[in-house]
Amino acid sequence: MAKLTRVALAGEGGQGVQVVAEIIAEAAYDEGKQAIYIPNFGLEQRGGVSVAFIQVSDTRIGAPKFHTGDVVVALSSRAVRRTHQYSGPQTLYVYDSSFELSPQDYPPQAKQVLGIPALERSKAIHPRVFNIIVMGLVVGLTGIVSYDALKQALDKKLGYKFEKNPALRDMNYQALDAGIEMAREALKGGEFAHAE
Amino acid sequence: MVEKPITGSRKAFMTGNEIVTWAALASGADIMFGYPITPQNEVMHYWTRLAPRFGREFLQTEDEISAGFTVCGAVQAGRKAFTATAGPGNVLMQEPFGMAEAMRLPVVAVIQQRGGPSSGTVVYSQQEVTLTAYGGNGEGHRIVYSVATHQEIFDYVIKAFNTAWTYRFPTFVLGDGYQAKMREPLELYDPAERGIQLVPPTPLVGLPGAIGEDREPQHLCNIYSLEEELYDAVLRLEKDYQAMAPLVVEWQEKNCDHAELIVVSHGVVSRAADDAVQALRQEGVRAGFFRPVTLRPFPQQQLREALRRSGAGRLLVAESSQGQLLRLLRQELYGERVPIDALLMPGVGIVDEDIIAKVKSIL
Repeated sequence: MAKLTRVALAGEGGQGVQVVAEIIAEAAYDEGKQAIYIPNFGLEQRGGVSVAFIQVSDTRIGAPKFHTGDVVVALSSRAVRRTHQYSGPQTLYVYDSSFELSPQDYPPQAKQVLGIPALERSKAIHPRVFNIIVMGLVVGLTGIVSYDALKQALDKKLGYKFEKNPALRDMNYQALDAGIEMAREALKGGEFAHAE
Repeated sequence: MVEKPITGSRKAFMTGNEIVTWAALASGADIMFGYPITPQNEVMHYWTRLAPRFGREFLQTEDEISAGFTVCGAVQAGRKAFTATAGPGNVLMQEPFGMAEAMRLPVVAVIQQRGGPSSGTVVYSQQEVTLTAYGGNGEGHRIVYSVATHQEIFDYVIKAFNTAWTYRFPTFVLGDGYQAKMREPLELYDPAERGIQLVPPTPLVGLPGAIGEDREPQHLCNIYSLEEELYDAVLRLEKDYQAMAPLVVEWQEKNCDHAELIVVSHGVVSRAADDAVQALRQEGVRAGFFRPVTLRPFPQQQLREALRRSGAGRLLVAESSQGQLLRLLRQELYGERVPIDALLMPGVGIVDEDIIAKVKSIL
């Protein structure tokens, strides 16, 4: 893992982007790493584009914001347009290929662009765990936190829901694993790698 | 006996707003008055959840003007009271803050700066420097701590209550939307365990004894019939403020020895400036770092001394506003001949690469 990893995660309000960022940052903190997470959204209570900025490092983190991420993930077509600015020449840019994206929508700068059908994949488990698939994806692509720490942080955040409905725990773990698996495939240049 | 909010110390990973609440609890704050505005809402949110557990109180007023005045009232009754606000809320609170200056009320306010002018953004800026330091129809007789890290939010909220109750000038902790909303590790502690004595609040009105017999009248005045009376009152404020200034002024200075250029920044931007200066030094660029922690009173002498000692031929101001720190600096450095460059990015974050690039373009 690089010393400092920067991730921008963007989606529609309500897609659960901030929850994912919070769990990842919590997991990093629990592992004894330095972590900063800033949520960013507009004035809308619902329906705006929501962006989360996550930084994880072994050493003290300076500025809480960054201009370009190591990994940028956009989960809707509006989120893609909103996140162009965070994609630089060294950025791994990931979008959810479940929605149509025309070539002019691609970020002007990126090291690599990956389309990953996370939304499509969530339908096979449960649409509600879409964001947990995305969480697995982010961690699978970056390795910023360990699998165990992530699972513990997930339990800490959603444990009270799991208590009421144990089936939810399995569903969330399954989603997490699905996300990590998709990341693994994508990094291999496998079936999800971007090819137009 | 109500339990202590924090015993010993413990590590935490939380938002800046949540820390404000814990720090106010640890400071012995009795009551918060507030009105919702992003990005400080969660201060109220957490306070309303936690305060009842520790026997503390909360009142949501009808607007920020009332929130400020109710704090003014509560401190006169001898209660440690505080408020938190941002942006247009900070504008509205200037009237009560002015009253606090006039009547020497130990008001504590946390300001989480958002973008302006007007409603601007709910996100972030450093555009409330002038307002917080010099707002109101007075002379800026206030103390403003500009914090940079989550640990400092905790430390300086505790300090702000002590400063306010020691010197009786309104005291501000100036944060911003990033610091309000972001999560970062810090250590929460019981101030007593760190040897920090909490200054106890005392009532300013309703004092015991007969006026004229046992004691002088307590004269908390914010209006005068004669202009000469006001003149004398303002001079007294100024005299007390100047006497206090050296006791509360705070600053940070790093790498200024033999610096060719000193980067001046405050608050969250100083984190990027610190990293930028360290990176530049590693490349052999002789950059230095100076950060006013108190924007009021400003560490004027300390910056002048840093300039002289280092022999730096240039200053660079970096801030997320169109020159509010720069104006302060020009006023405080009047007479110095050092040229001042500026990296001004109103309402957006500044990262170390921005400062490094700017320094390289100058030197």
